[in-house]
Amino acid sequence: MTYRKLVLTGLLLWYIAFSIAMAIAPANREFWMAANILPVMLVMVLTMAHRLFPLSTGSYVLITIFLTLHTIGVHYTYALVPFGGWLQQALHFDRNHFDRIVHFSFGFLLTYPLEEWFRLFARARGWLIYYLPVMTILGLSGFWEILESWAARTFKPDLGLTFLGSQGDVWDAQKDMTAALYGSLLCVALIVVNRKLLERSVSVISDSSPSLEEPS
Amino acid sequence: MTLTTAATAPYERESGRHRLPQSLLAFYLVVWVILAVSPVDRHDWLLENLLAVSTVAALILTYRRFAFSDLSYVLITLFMILHAVGAHYTYAKVPFGFWMKDTFNLSRNHFDRIVHFAFGLLLAYPAYDVFLRAAKARKGWALLMATIAVISVSGLFEVIESWVAQLVSPELGDAYLGTQGDIWDAQKDMTMAIIGALITVGLTYVISKSVPSPVP
Repeated sequence: MTYRKLVLTGLLLWYIAFSIAMAIAPANREFWMAANILPVMLVMVLTMAHRLFPLSTGSYVLITIFLTLHTIGVHYTYALVPFGGWLQQALHFDRNHFDRIVHFSFGFLLTYPLEEWFRLFARARGWLIYYLPVMTILGLSGFWEILESWAARTFKPDLGLTFLGSQGDVWDAQKDMTAALYGSLLCVALIVVNRKLLERSVSVISDSSPSLEEPS
Repeated sequence: MTLTTAATAPYERESGRHRLPQSLLAFYLVVWVILAVSPVDRHDWLLENLLAVSTVAALILTYRRFAFSDLSYVLITLFMILHAVGAHYTYAKVPFGFWMKDTFNLSRNHFDRIVHFAFGLLLAYPAYDVFLRAAKARKGWALLMATIAVISVSGLFEVIESWVAQLVSPELGDAYLGTQGDIWDAQKDMTMAIIGALITVGLTYVISKSVPSPVP
């Protein structure tokens, strides 16, 4: 078993074990069911497609961190996550901000896997490499808000309100999308800085060794 | 004179083939000036036109670097005219929307929903044009990227709308937003754009399959 296979299997086992642990007595069973449909589908797609569209191990780690955060949020129906409650008290927020944190993480953690996907499989180049993941994050966030609104209207109204996670804010959907956008932009900025530094260190190495022939 | 499409337009616009974009621009400017005369609400008209004017300016300034195909310019012009009509009547007060409301017994003036739908329907093709010809993406990927672009830009638009609404006076904000008292307005707007984009992307795919592409 290679190192990569070991890590990937470990990540999958971690997600399954953690999901089972968080499936025990969630704050709201119906909400837990509804909010787990998409993550379970994503994990199934990633597992089945890992040969056809193999991402780097780092990408799978980032996706797993995000899914873990979401699983925690779903267990506590987001608005009741203890960490968010502690944050609210410590920093005097007017609401439990855990869902905002996860929206930000959605952008921050999933931008790199998307960038990789577009770079490797769509063979995107130039400005497209940075534009596509950010726009996809923004589009998926918008799509998520649409799904939320459908679910909120289809299910019982009281459940809907929790699912919306709006906690009484009419601009909630827009703020959620903005949080994901900021996360995504931050990630893209880090990728760009990292690549520039890498380029510089490569050019420093080639400058210091004059025997190295420049490629024509 | 044949109408060039994303599949047939050469990357560099041939000399002497500027007549159509120029006529479309002239037509738009005439319509725009007529609709700039005594709009229902001057402040709202100004707000609505900030993005529109910047878009047209950007199209003119980037024309030398990247020219869309003729079909794309026709679609863009149609959309810009719809938006100019909406801006003149502050969207919620467009006569056509009132006529529709009376005829079909609707609860509200749906003109803004129509323009959101038109955004997806009319602008998915120009987006496809950019990805196919400027970014040199392959057809399937370009169609996917165009869909993502429409969804994310309409999400971004809802975010910007919410910022504007919170910045300017609340009553004008509501007129600009055109929520007309619906908390799910943003989600419904985005849904309309997605449906429009999917129709165009589907049509483009089917037509491009049946017509052999002359591009090598």
